[in-house]
Amino acid sequence: MKATLIIINHNGRDLLAQSAPAALEAARKAGGHTVTVADDASSDDSIEFLSKSFPEVKVLALPKAGFGPACNSGVEAADTEAALILNNDAIVTPEFLEPLLEDLAEPDVFAVGCKFLNPDGSLTHALGNRTSGTWQGPLLRLHHETRPEMLKQTCPQLYPNGGAMAFWREKWLALGGFDPLFHPFYWEDVDIGYRAWARGWRVLYEPRSVVYHDQGSTMGRFHRPAHIELMSAKNALLFTWKNLLDTHLFRRALAAQARWGADDVLIGGLPHRTAALWRAFRQLRQAGRARAREQRERLRVDEEILALASGGDA
Amino acid sequence: MSDAARKTVLLLTFARRGEEEAIRQAMAALREAAPDAVIVAVGTPVSGPVLEHLGVDELIIYGDGRGARSVVREARARRPAAAAVVYWGPGFAGHLKLELLALLSGPPRVLRLAPETPVRAVGRSRLALSVLAKVVTAIALTAAGALVCGTALVCLRLRQALAGGHRAPRA
Repeated sequence: MKATLIIINHNGRDLLAQSAPAALEAARKAGGHTVTVADDASSDDSIEFLSKSFPEVKVLALPKAGFGPACNSGVEAADTEAALILNNDAIVTPEFLEPLLEDLAEPDVFAVGCKFLNPDGSLTHALGNRTSGTWQGPLLRLHHETRPEMLKQTCPQLYPNGGAMAFWREKWLALGGFDPLFHPFYWEDVDIGYRAWARGWRVLYEPRSVVYHDQGSTMGRFHRPAHIELMSAKNALLFTWKNLLDTHLFRRALAAQARWGADDVLIGGLPHRTAALWRAFRQLRQAGRARAREQRERLRVDEEILALASGGDA
Repeated sequence: MSDAARKTVLLLTFARRGEEEAIRQAMAALREAAPDAVIVAVGTPVSGPVLEHLGVDELIIYGDGRGARSVVREARARRPAAAAVVYWGPGFAGHLKLELLALLSGPPRVLRLAPETPVRAVGRSRLALSVLAKVVTAIALTAAGALVCGTALVCLRLRQALAGGHRAPRA
């Protein structure tokens, strides 16, 4: 099986200096795979740097559209059975590719996620390792495993972290890729993982494929923390509106969402919940269309998806 | 000095993850202002060990079946000379639950501590005004949330019904 490693880049020339050679090395070591950089309209010299320093890297110069559309364009342009999406700050290890392709060989697997470590080698506390979720209160609460002893075997997980994930290109295209509903960022990887499970496929976690990733370092360069929190909350709401089809759970979640804005006052922190509700509401029509589409394609109910993704029986 | 003669200061914080530094700073400020004070923190079974580790003198635990009324009763029984509310910022936004707890616990003064903001001491009437304003805001936000989510529920369910209902056949 041949794969294309797609690095998503926006003004990350300095990050590419580390991530591109690491991806090239992994592709070479696994034998004859290609590396592409999907460049989201960088205004720095990323493209010139790549053509000078790494001429074997294919560059896809895209108009500015954001992370999700850049991923979608990169996957569409790939001509291999498998594809991988990598953030420009994700440093892969030389042996990371083979275990992923091994796991993808199983016919019902859609995607495989990697083991994420901080640059210092410690286990990352950002969502990424062996993900799972529970419908709790207004939103899908995401969990990830932080105990090293639980991260030694290949196992199911809810979604592969978009920072480094491998998948079947054909299945990605069948799912429609990352949904533009979640523009500009966050929750698109949760959404595609959830939808893959809903279609009867599986998503795996592969601890042998190690990636060093300073979660949020790219995001923090371009966006204020308040904006990141607002967008994440908006997309968490839209995820519910799009994907939660169980009537009882959906009603319960919306009742909790109605009270959610008041938490800005009751609890505190950055006052983003009311603003997120309003932002999500402005995308209600788009969410409705996505929900209808999801309903037509679904083969598993919500509780079954979460049970299977956490390694249990449905 | 005996414990009975020492003043009690209530430390009110949500003690969420990552807040240890803010609590440590709050504790240092309280120790400097009142070196002999007994610091009594209110925490959950989860945050309790963290607060103990940070050096509070006593801990009132709520949750696990213990309601707010019982916590308020226990806090009042200590006759606190002051309460310190640790905010997450920006400024003294949010934290209505903690302000309400501070108000009901009965201390004459409340210290408000927020990141990158000078400590502010307020009296009970000033705190009551803040609580009232926040209660009104919370009601307004809940009403707005109900309107938004009610509309979303109707629209999405309608769309679902028009598209043929939720079939969700099993794989």
